[in-house]
Amino acid sequence: MRVILKTRPREKPRVPIEAEEIIPQNFLRKDDITVFLGNKERSLDDLFFVTIEGPAVSPDQVEVVLTGDTGVIKRVGEYMNAGRIIIEGDIGMHCGNFMSAGEIIIRGNADSWLGREMRGGRILCEGNAGHYCAAGYRGEKRGMRGGMVEVKGNAGDFAAEYLSGGEVVIHGNCGDLAGVEMRGGTLVIGGDCARPCGNMTGGTCMVFGKASQFLPTFRANGSQEVEYAGKRYRMNLFRGDVANRGKGTLMVRA
Amino acid sequence: MKIEDVVCPFCGCLCDDLVVEVEGTKVVNVENGCTLANEKFMGDHRLNAPIRRAGEGWEEVSYNEAIEETAAILLDADRPLLYGWSGTFGEAQSVGVHLAELLGAVIDNTSTVCHGPSIMAIQEVGHPGCTLGQVKNRADVVVYWAANPIEAHPRHMSRYTTFCDGFFVKSAFRERKVIVVDVRETDSSQVADEFVKVNPGGDYAVLSALRAIVRGKRDLIPLSVEGVSREQLFRVADLCMSAKFGAIFFGVGLTMAQGKYKNIRNAIELTEELNRHTKFTISPMRGHWNVYGSNEVFTWITGYPYAVDFARGIAFYNPGETTSVDVLRRGECDACLVVASDPGAHFPRACAEHLAHIPTVQIDPHVNATTHLSRIQIPVAVTGIDAEGTAYRMDGVPIRTRRLFFGNYPDDLEVLEKIYRIVREARG
Repeated sequence: MRVILKTRPREKPRVPIEAEEIIPQNFLRKDDITVFLGNKERSLDDLFFVTIEGPAVSPDQVEVVLTGDTGVIKRVGEYMNAGRIIIEGDIGMHCGNFMSAGEIIIRGNADSWLGREMRGGRILCEGNAGHYCAAGYRGEKRGMRGGMVEVKGNAGDFAAEYLSGGEVVIHGNCGDLAGVEMRGGTLVIGGDCARPCGNMTGGTCMVFGKASQFLPTFRANGSQEVEYAGKRYRMNLFRGDVANRGKGTLMVRA
Repeated sequence: MKIEDVVCPFCGCLCDDLVVEVEGTKVVNVENGCTLANEKFMGDHRLNAPIRRAGEGWEEVSYNEAIEETAAILLDADRPLLYGWSGTFGEAQSVGVHLAELLGAVIDNTSTVCHGPSIMAIQEVGHPGCTLGQVKNRADVVVYWAANPIEAHPRHMSRYTTFCDGFFVKSAFRERKVIVVDVRETDSSQVADEFVKVNPGGDYAVLSALRAIVRGKRDLIPLSVEGVSREQLFRVADLCMSAKFGAIFFGVGLTMAQGKYKNIRNAIELTEELNRHTKFTISPMRGHWNVYGSNEVFTWITGYPYAVDFARGIAFYNPGETTSVDVLRRGECDACLVVASDPGAHFPRACAEHLAHIPTVQIDPHVNATTHLSRIQIPVAVTGIDAEGTAYRMDGVPIRTRRLFFGNYPDDLEVLEKIYRIVREARG
């Protein structure tokens, strides 16, 4: 089954839409899907032109395609556990929150909290991601726990904050404090970043660009070769963050 | 008439020893007050009556007309924002939260541009804090980090720290050691025993280094960390660890610097580390008068201290998403009610532009920068001068403010209750 959702023109296009019900499994068994436009609950038809092509017997066979003015739509793919969502443009905050399986492909940019506290599945963002990519909710002790988030462009500040499992790959640059409070999993940064892995207690972070404002509380621990994007690189190894009895591994290109 | 033990309605210190002289409905003299307090009591830029924008100018309207139009604007909105609250008292703030719930609005207070990051850090790692009375009577080491109390909280040092003798600190000026950490020299750094000059944005690294030193990892520290020499870091750590009772006060220079709440988290974790050696506490230097009270009121009603979004009927909190600066910058909200604050003067330009673009209503005694962005302004009594109510000091101690005279203005509570009643009737 292929579900195509094209946004209708809206009188107030910057008022956000909260659409956690846009997940493949809902199109298999629900016909009363609603979304919120600001503080008003609306039916899916009020805000989208809906086209459904072909049958499906399980959520795995459902593909949802979002097109149009999708940059202010929040929570698409929240708690998703099967199927695929393709977003032809940008997407709003919290895309793929808590998802446990399935795949989300974003052709444009993703706003903040992409894949927040994700448990499994895969998110591919072909543009840039905002702040808190693959991070946790406020006050939460664990961020992303499983699955994979791949961003072809850059990510904002606090990428992979509280990362506890799974793999986050940012091919471009990251902002400030990528991997802060990391306690597990793997973070790969293809470009530059600032102050990586502050207060980390576990996990592995690899920086293939330049790490500026490097924190003084990481202990040098030799070097090793690592492969990234088909090439082998010599990486300096650090252990830390010792301000926090940290046992994480931070590798920065030599 | 002279009135004693008056509570100052300006900053988070809530000094409660002022003597104010009143003639009719005018304050003519203030004793014991700092410059800021004097200006607050004696200042006279109050609006006489509600005003509404009419073409290129303004027209005066009745209170009822202004209140009814305000309610209509809020009822018509898909994403209203209720912002401010720190300059008014708890009872009015409480009605504001209930109004937000009824409207499905975002409600936020001035923490969003001051110590919101402090609260986020406290939510992550807790708050080893204490009252200002404890500091006054016990602290022999006081650290001001990215704060300049002599200019921002002019009586903080004389009432609680450097110049104030305490029960266990008989000669404060000699016995208390004062450490000031800042990116530049200030009036406060002039009175410090140790001034630590940090590179802008370098606080996080310096705090991490101090944590490592206190943990016994001195060998790891490089010769200089963000402009601070290793020797000075060792000296500061030793001074803190040898204190009988230490108190850290931090300001907006830390909360709004690069790293934001992670700076505060690091400072709290340094405090926790120091508590393995001695007794140490940490407290924010809250600036807006009753901003602590707005955090209290919001929390006891919604569970969250600021940036609360009721769009879905339940409270949702996510600074960065539901904070007023972000909501305005993204152009999300389609109506705004500003109560007891001045975002026009303090918010980024893009936010001010959006406030001017949407119907904005301000409830405030004075003509200020937000007036020029508003469609309607409703003047009210000033809490602590011609209105009374409960406010919270920067250390979380609630203090009842007094009404010094009966003026001609309704207070915030009265106006907000009328708006609430109209909205409730319309929403059934």
